[in-house]
Amino acid sequence: MAIDTGTLTNIGFYVFVSIMFAMLALGFNLQWGYTGLFNAGIAGFFLIGAYVAVFAITPPAPPLIIGGIKVYPGHLGGYSLPLPVGALVAMFVSGAAAALVALPTLRLRADYLAIATLGFAEVVRIFAINLESVTAGTIGIPGIPGPIEFNPPDAFLNTMTKVAVGAAILLGLLIVLQFMVESPWGRVLRAVREDEEATMALGKNTAGYKLQVFALGGALMGLAGWFFAITINYVEPSGSFAPAVTFSVWVMVIVGGSGNHRGAIIGAFVIYGLEWLSVQLKDLAPKFLADTIPYIRLMLVGVLLIVLIIYRPEGILRERKRVLR
Amino acid sequence: MDPNTILGAERVVKTFGGIVAVDRCSLTVAPKSVTGLIGPNGAGKSTLFNIIAGLYRPDDGAIWFNGKRIDGLPPFEIVRLGLTKTWQIPHELRNLTVLENVVLAAKDNPGEHLLNLFVKPREVVRAEKMWRARAREVLKLTQLDALANEHAKGLSGGQKKLLELARALMSDPSLVLLDEPVAGVNPTLAGSLMDLIERLRQSGRTFFLIEHDMNVVMNRCDRVIVMHQGRTIADGTPASVKSNPVVIDSYLGG
Repeated sequence: MAIDTGTLTNIGFYVFVSIMFAMLALGFNLQWGYTGLFNAGIAGFFLIGAYVAVFAITPPAPPLIIGGIKVYPGHLGGYSLPLPVGALVAMFVSGAAAALVALPTLRLRADYLAIATLGFAEVVRIFAINLESVTAGTIGIPGIPGPIEFNPPDAFLNTMTKVAVGAAILLGLLIVLQFMVESPWGRVLRAVREDEEATMALGKNTAGYKLQVFALGGALMGLAGWFFAITINYVEPSGSFAPAVTFSVWVMVIVGGSGNHRGAIIGAFVIYGLEWLSVQLKDLAPKFLADTIPYIRLMLVGVLLIVLIIYRPEGILRERKRVLR
Repeated sequence: MDPNTILGAERVVKTFGGIVAVDRCSLTVAPKSVTGLIGPNGAGKSTLFNIIAGLYRPDDGAIWFNGKRIDGLPPFEIVRLGLTKTWQIPHELRNLTVLENVVLAAKDNPGEHLLNLFVKPREVVRAEKMWRARAREVLKLTQLDALANEHAKGLSGGQKKLLELARALMSDPSLVLLDEPVAGVNPTLAGSLMDLIERLRQSGRTFFLIEHDMNVVMNRCDRVIVMHQGRTIADGTPASVKSNPVVIDSYLGG
């Protein structure tokens, strides 16, 4: 049976969105899985990355007024910068935002960090919705350039390019992150996770490590935001960056295996896979079932999570023991 | 400050809410000594240790180490100066191996700085190799070498105490604060642990230890300081402290 390009395009979409979630999961895994820092504002750093990237890479977008009616409010930036530059700027700004949020709370107990990040993410999103002159508000920003513009437009090639770019970045991230966490530096992170006070008493500047990791994790979430912008080619603040994104990423890391990079990536593919499948099945299922499928998916994720916590609390891939030679 | 003291506390005060845990406590520890700190539960001994190690900030008073004032410094800087403490209840890093726990305590490991991983990878590898070898020596010394690659959470209570000591030694300290080093350790192991401490003292290190085992205190310490209700109430040789009526009344019993 030959698979037509339409089906492949559809599967390609699943793959590149999963890759985007995998970037978020890698960022959260670095913070939570390795260092024990709980981030409840993943969506906020993701949003900042997406919008900063959009400001950097889109062409100028002045407000559009037709017959005295503001049709499009315009948005900030429009510097038409190359895509890789957009990625770097997005990572830098999201990382800096993460460091700023973490700075006053890192010395306090872990729950304060969770509260601060949760609040931060919602504030950022509400600003993005209301600051129309900066973000174009809920109208959103369309026409964001993708990795390669094919002429004439070709949905299949377009999708495959996005998959290839995403896969290359993900592979690079996996290699660099693996090298980092398996170093003496990574060992200090795991020590902070196990017992911060003891690590401090062993002569480590734990606050400094926490700040570094929170910024690095935030930068990865910013990169995910950039990838979202160049693959979906449209950003809008109210839905794509809602707290539900944060919760999904938590589930991905817990299911995949916290403290394991490959686990976080697998978790992203599995959990987003359930969402994607439920959308696919909706078209195939009999009418009376079609409307309930999204709810069945949510139940399924819940059941999966409970079963996993009971029978395999360390996730699909567990953190491995480091046998030193 | 007296050159014959390595550690000095001057009228140190620490309160938690309405409780005065340490109440104008002053004491000194002589270099290359094994000094004991005894006293009833709640006398403020562990709190004082935590203040000295920088984990608590005193409300008042001063701590001197090697002629340098250290109160208010963060714990990691105090460790750098050569002062390390162990915990009464072992704080082993549970999901790290025994060897990882010990290597982590090394003071200057360039690989612990993120930038060095990329800028000088060779030096990172070389230093890590050296520290691992050093950690294995320390594990041999503390009789934990056979357990090097086990998770620390799998150790017995006594072995965790040994791990505490191993980590403290790894940072090459001149002064080690030991909070009940032999509590829960079987008598044979406790004996060899104290022998080890004696050998390390002869090589120039100072030990300041909290202990309730009077055998250890009377036979192994050169000097004993007694704390009661947050203050020092006696200070002298084990024999003099043992016969001090105030100490008998508040702690040892008649």
